Amino acid sequence: MRLDWNAAYLDGRTAARRRATVHITRTGLDIVLAEGGARLFWPFREIRQTQGNYAGEQVRLERGGELPEALLIGDVSFLSAARAVAPDAARLHEPARRRLRVGLTFSALLGAIALAVAIYYVGIPAFARVAAERVPVSWEEKLGSAIVEHFAPPSRRCEDPPRQARIEGIVGRLTAKRPLPYTLRITIVNSPVVNALAAPGGQILVFRGLLERTDNAEELAGVLAHEIAHVEHRHVTRAIFQHASTGVLMAALAGDVSGVVAFGLEGARTLGDLQMSRAAETEADQEGMRRIQEADIDPAGTITFFEKLAKREREHDDSLTRYLRTHPTTAERIASLRALAATAPAPAERLLPEDDWNAVKSLCGELPAGSRSPQR
Amino acid sequence: MASAGSRHAIFVGSGGSLFGIHIVNVLLILATLSIYSFWAKVRVRKYLWSQTEFEGDRFAYHGTGREMFFGFIKAFLFFILPITLLNTLPEAFGASPLVFVATRIAVSIIAAVFIPVAIVGARRYRLSRSSWRGIRFSLRASTRDFVGLWVRGWMLTSLTLGFYYPAFVVSQHRFLTSHTWFGSQRFAFDGRGRDLLWAWLGALVLFVPTLGLSWFWFAARRQRYFAEHTRVAGARFTSTVSAPALAWLTLSTWIGLIATLGLAWPWLTIRKLRRQFVWLSLDGPLALESITQEAQQVGATGEGLAGFFDADLGFT
Repeated sequence: MRLDWNAAYLDGRTAARRRATVHITRTGLDIVLAEGGARLFWPFREIRQTQGNYAGEQVRLERGGELPEALLIGDVSFLSAARAVAPDAARLHEPARRRLRVGLTFSALLGAIALAVAIYYVGIPAFARVAAERVPVSWEEKLGSAIVEHFAPPSRRCEDPPRQARIEGIVGRLTAKRPLPYTLRITIVNSPVVNALAAPGGQILVFRGLLERTDNAEELAGVLAHEIAHVEHRHVTRAIFQHASTGVLMAALAGDVSGVVAFGLEGARTLGDLQMSRAAETEADQEGMRRIQEADIDPAGTITFFEKLAKREREHDDSLTRYLRTHPTTAERIASLRALAATAPAPAERLLPEDDWNAVKSLCGELPAGSRSPQR
Repeated sequence: MASAGSRHAIFVGSGGSLFGIHIVNVLLILATLSIYSFWAKVRVRKYLWSQTEFEGDRFAYHGTGREMFFGFIKAFLFFILPITLLNTLPEAFGASPLVFVATRIAVSIIAAVFIPVAIVGARRYRLSRSSWRGIRFSLRASTRDFVGLWVRGWMLTSLTLGFYYPAFVVSQHRFLTSHTWFGSQRFAFDGRGRDLLWAWLGALVLFVPTLGLSWFWFAARRQRYFAEHTRVAGARFTSTVSAPALAWLTLSTWIGLIATLGLAWPWLTIRKLRRQFVWLSLDGPLALESITQEAQQVGATGEGLAGFFDADLGFT
């Protein structure tokens, strides 16, 4: 066993590098400086190894507190020699074990992937659901109002109390059997976009474009029931939690990586959000249909309206498809809605039999050509 | 004994070793819900520093995850939490417009102080935890002075419609460099703000026609300028970085990171550091014998702040 090694000594006070020889003993290192021949003794108990754990690194041993002295040894087999001679040197790194690292790295890689997948598919959705349930209704209402202010400032709203009351009547009927902890507020937005959305806290926005494409009260009821389900299950609040925690996960995965990768990962995140929102849409479809049936409304309206949207989607690439893009495949949706509708007999009575639907849906003003519904 | 000549730091690390460190870090960060990230950062730095060699000796990093963690907690308590609360509470409680305006002003003031405090704190911590031949680096500057410089700089930049910006960049660099010490040896910077004005204006004018590539031309010019005006222990830095080389290094690193979703980060980091050290050299007689250690006490708040904002100044 080789006991004498060449080293460099740094006193921690000056930048001078001094040549030294090191002799390994059972309890510590005997150090003799080349110039001047001063002798030092470092007990292993007081020695810290700060470098020399990786290929290409010299061994660096330090001793002392604030301004430590250091000993640099180029040959890493010094470590094996010290470990063999001195029981106190067991804390030093063993270069022979480096070969095990390949296996360790590979297992860490597999572990990291497994953990990331589990967090993404199980941990985050569960956390978002639990967290969203614990958000007070009043907070959701504030958030919802802010969203409504953004999408529909007062100047862009259609105001017509008598006709709005007819729509609110539909909402009343949908929620009569199973009331919600929210006060539902329906805002009609004067915009040609074919869309409806549910903000947190019971705020539902229906855009003029969508309203004008409904042909009877049942069709609108289908859309409203769907949005009510979003409100009830706090889908938007959940999505906010989900989005935020996905961000934290990606930051963890990317580690020290800064801005640019974050930008690249943002794409993956959006795709992920889209997938999560599809799950929410499916839930809203099912829950909406349940509400329609509970309220004794003919589910055929829901289905015909979704079919209309599907037909438009095939023919055009306009705002209509934008409404559908975050939603599951329309054909699948319609099929499962049909299956649900078939489970209960359709009611004999129509929704709002006394009203002319054209009068209700022209709430924002004159209907554009071709969007008048046939009288029934 | 002072010896003349051109000296390079060399970087000898390997992507494989760094990947091993990185992937264990990722695993632990996920398992601890990202608490481990402070310790992870330290492990990476210890490796990068110890793989950097100058005049036959390696650098060493002495920071600890514990210090970085408490630095972040402090940053959170003194900056992030107050800003969040001031931003949300008035709205939540429906405060009067006067309170509203007052809190908005308070938020802008805290935010304006936040970034310079983070920059100076991060640099102070990082330098004080770095050593070469057992001698620590340090930043001996008052944070207040830097905040003043920062606020004044942004004011002048907006008042002059941006013309002051290059001078502001230089004055920040002068402040940070000339307050940097290696043991008892101080770094000196003798650049002047107006020297970069034309380069900056040129880059700005050509920004759109060159699809932003002119920015690399300015960045390379700035790197050379900063190096050439920095002196330490009788020697002067030189940088041979060229705009195409810098543009290629930066863009290829970005593309590599995005294409591998960050997985190639260890290899790309190693490659980047190798190149950067090839560009930079220290020329002239370097008098090291007279340099002695002077210990400085420093907290890690700035590091925590910078980590939060990702305002990290890069390894060099």
